Amino acid sequence: MASTERPITIGFLFSTSGVTSGVESTQRQAATLAVEEVNRQGGVVGRELFIVGNDTGSDPKRFRAEAQRLLEEDRVDALFGCYMSSSRKAVLPVIESFGSTLFYPTHYEGFEYSSGCIYSGAAPNQNARWLADYVTETYGDRYFFVGSNYVFPYELNRIMRDLLSNRKADVVDEVYIPLDPSADDIERVISRIRAHGPVIVFSSIVGVGAVKFLQAYDRAGFDRRTYPITSVTIGEPEMKAAGKEASAGNVKAAPYFSSVRSLANSRFVAAYRDRFGPDMPICADAEAAYFQVRLFAEAANRAGTTDRDALLRILPTFSYEAPQGPVQVDEATHHTALWPRVAVMRDNGEFEIVREASAPVAPAPYLVELDNPLDLPSASMRARVF
Amino acid sequence: MGWLRLKDLRDLSVAVIHPPDSDGKVILAQLNRIGCRTDLIWPPAKFSPSGVDVVFAGLFFDSQKELKSALRKAEKPGPTIIGVVDYENPAMLELLLAIQATAAISKPVRSFGILTNLVVARTSWLQQVEAHDRISKLEKKLAGQKTITKAKSILMDMHGLSEVDAHNTIRQQAMAKRTTIEEMAQAIINANDLLSVKPKDV
Repeated sequence: MASTERPITIGFLFSTSGVTSGVESTQRQAATLAVEEVNRQGGVVGRELFIVGNDTGSDPKRFRAEAQRLLEEDRVDALFGCYMSSSRKAVLPVIESFGSTLFYPTHYEGFEYSSGCIYSGAAPNQNARWLADYVTETYGDRYFFVGSNYVFPYELNRIMRDLLSNRKADVVDEVYIPLDPSADDIERVISRIRAHGPVIVFSSIVGVGAVKFLQAYDRAGFDRRTYPITSVTIGEPEMKAAGKEASAGNVKAAPYFSSVRSLANSRFVAAYRDRFGPDMPICADAEAAYFQVRLFAEAANRAGTTDRDALLRILPTFSYEAPQGPVQVDEATHHTALWPRVAVMRDNGEFEIVREASAPVAPAPYLVELDNPLDLPSASMRARVF
Repeated sequence: MGWLRLKDLRDLSVAVIHPPDSDGKVILAQLNRIGCRTDLIWPPAKFSPSGVDVVFAGLFFDSQKELKSALRKAEKPGPTIIGVVDYENPAMLELLLAIQATAAISKPVRSFGILTNLVVARTSWLQQVEAHDRISKLEKKLAGQKTITKAKSILMDMHGLSEVDAHNTIRQQAMAKRTTIEEMAQAIINANDLLSVKPKDV
């Protein structure tokens, strides 16, 4: 670093313990890599970028307390992180009361706008909608929903039910298990799947539960070439933890897979594995954690300041070459135009991309599908809401 | 429907079904400032609906079943329900409608807005209850009118009476038997049903 000025401090909200620490650790690493690259390239407005932020334990209360501490004691310029929606929700009031900014790098269920939040993960129109198309065309029309018992799976399942219904497919069951499920919880789900006969599984189980579920589904012997586990959530870290044999055949929709072929991605994957280890899994949420730090630095350098209002004004004005492709923040929604893709896990432990957008898709956090009659507000109170 | 007087709010018994966290406490403190009788209840299973006029209900996906069954314990028309929500997605809005809330407040809860929602929700609830009562009365009256019309046409057929005479006959009989005209009409219909049964049907 050439500069001797006071560094710019940013706060990380990523858990290194608890149920979603697996994926959050990859997010922390990817964001750290981005900070190191920014510093090698001259920093932010000529100053070094400095990271602070302790383990948040996959617990919304600890997220809120850590955000408060980072803003109060470390006087950070911006915050980066949160995985589960419940942790983002706990942090946002703190962000608003301090007039700060949260860069949120995780796909989520949509239906939110907060003036101080930049959402760089996929909204449902950028993952679930693509998954619904692919799976109904490829596998069939009987689906079994299983999710962790918190807000994201409930809303995502509601959206997916509408998407599948529009494609003439049926949902035979919908079950929820605790965030930290016991072996019995998982076995109950497996028996219910078996009771329904062969079904395609749509899973919104997050974290350690997802790994246990992948392994149990594999042990149960369902043929994943015809009845895979499909999701927008279970990615490289969970499948690596579950093992290649237990994961092959499963399907995920996301804007990024480490197998994306592009110059920007080869550089990113090489740098990540060089820094953190040759076999490290990289998922879409990690890639978003990486590029949003780069977006922040680019915006601050263009604005010549890290002032929040200046950043929020300039962020939507440029496109950034992310590993997934060029991305751009949308001014109206603060969500990001991204590259939807669908991929199938192969025997070699790599995701093979089977479908991808030919241009960035604009985020639609309040509307998943334009041609969906259920998306229109209904006059009748008895009807479903949207 | 009369204007809900602010002093009426002070007589309300309000149950706050919410964890005792900062949001729950803000609601409770503001209700106490307004002067309501309040009770903070958690988990939902501890809720006892007797004597409760208004419920502030915290909505959480993982406790939605407990909340719904707690609210079902109340006799009709049940308390006025105000949802306390932290997400604005359709799954949450469906939950809000499922518990028949007449207003909602959002998290993080601020003192400002609680009184407004209390007034809007309570007024809207009173209007609903009143409208429901009126509809019940009208339905009953309509059913009575149908009975009278049927009884009149029986008398007109049987005795060749005019409609006015048939009506007067029923009214006089009702007065003589000290009963209502609707009940008299029903008695005529019952008697006619009985008398028109042919022996071979028995």
